[in-house]
Amino acid sequence: MSNNDIWDKLQNVDRRILYWILFIGLMIPLVTPIGLPITISPTTASFYNRINALDPGQVVLLNLGSETSAWSECLPGLIATTEALIKSDARIVVIGPLVDSSITWNKIVESVPAIQSLTYGEDYVFLGFYTGGEAAVARMATSLRSIFPVDSQGVPLDDITLMKNVDSAQDITIVISSDTGDSIEYWIRQWFTPYNVPVGEVGISMLGSSLMPYYRSGNIFGISAGIRGGAELEKLVGIPGTATKNMDSISLSHLMVIIAVIIANVGYFMTRTKGGK
Amino acid sequence: MYPTELFDVLGLWVGLILMLMIYSYPLWKENPAYRFAEYTFVSTSLAIILIVAVSNVIKIAILPLLAGNISLIIPIALGAFMYSLFAPKYRYLSRFPLAILIGAAFGLGMRGVLIPSILNQISSTITAPSTSDLFSWGNFTYVAIGTIFSIMYFFLTYEHSGALSQPTKIGRYIIMIGLGAYFGNTIMFRFAMLTGRAEYLLQVLKIIGM
Repeated sequence: MSNNDIWDKLQNVDRRILYWILFIGLMIPLVTPIGLPITISPTTASFYNRINALDPGQVVLLNLGSETSAWSECLPGLIATTEALIKSDARIVVIGPLVDSSITWNKIVESVPAIQSLTYGEDYVFLGFYTGGEAAVARMATSLRSIFPVDSQGVPLDDITLMKNVDSAQDITIVISSDTGDSIEYWIRQWFTPYNVPVGEVGISMLGSSLMPYYRSGNIFGISAGIRGGAELEKLVGIPGTATKNMDSISLSHLMVIIAVIIANVGYFMTRTKGGK
Repeated sequence: MYPTELFDVLGLWVGLILMLMIYSYPLWKENPAYRFAEYTFVSTSLAIILIVAVSNVIKIAILPLLAGNISLIIPIALGAFMYSLFAPKYRYLSRFPLAILIGAAFGLGMRGVLIPSILNQISSTITAPSTSDLFSWGNFTYVAIGTIFSIMYFFLTYEHSGALSQPTKIGRYIIMIGLGAYFGNTIMFRFAMLTGRAEYLLQVLKIIGM
């Protein structure tokens, strides 16, 4: 076998082999955690500090706009956020623009033991599903009751203690939105710009870079980006969870991809040096 | 904690088997098991969406209408017009709700776009850092130069030569760096999902705890 053959092969490794190596490789740290250190990024620190600065009893609107398919990315951040909100004695109004938002909320309730000590309707409420995108978000700013005449259990909002004096953007201290797309911009446009309600994000990793201009310009107070953001929040809240555990796996998968890229590039340059295509 | 109820355990295993069926495509090749899982996923998702959507319409429109809120007949009628797409003779009726939807979305979008997406962006780009921190100044300079040069790259009414040659080239590199960062985050998102699935596999097989 000539050297050229080896370099050629390095460039053309069957992608299924790489997938198998990756899939099996990232299981190793799940079974045997490495415990790599997690540093706190400024966007996550800012997000946590704003929640920490809430006064007891202030009302926070939590918009569950990330699908269950993005649980790996967003759920740890949402769980840590809920823990932080409970620590701040904030009252939480939960809503969801997706058909599976209720499944996500149930999972959060199941994963945050501190919720069991709270009273539904006084400390937190789940208003349920809403549709209508940006138009609904805009309408909520003036009247939550026009979108949610009743909560997820069919109880009229006027009969819910928490909601008695809560109906518009003026009654909400901050909005936290969890997204896989660009719906955070609805809240920026319809709540932050006209009513100056601070907006924060618990989103997927991609939003970490795409929302950075909004963060730098002060349109959002913080970002928890992906599983990394979730791990940082878990560290700040002091309750290590799934994200902390899975970060080793993520780091190892990145290392494997970097090695694959290096091998392919070495193959490419060596082929070219030796007079290949 | 690993579930003990029969249906919960069954649910875990059905989820795992469907997941492996889906992964059989990238890890091996397209096959009937993959297709079965794919169709199951699409049809189940559609069924859930349909149930939630219909329940929602009943809750926020039909029941209040029956309770005497007559004005709700307008959005209900507009929604019904969308179904005229199925009848070529009355297809024109679907244009009314579409026109309202697009008009409302455009109007609402324009209402809040000026300050956060334009004015605040310009303001944050031209405002110098308040600290003497070297990193902040480096970042400020990078963003300022990056913004100007990247915009220059899109000046297509002039040839990118002479004085414009170097700035537009730098602008192109800065766009590439930006897209690279975005792509990197996309990869991280996919890996996080893959890690989640790997964790699920190990949990169902009781190799790690739930």
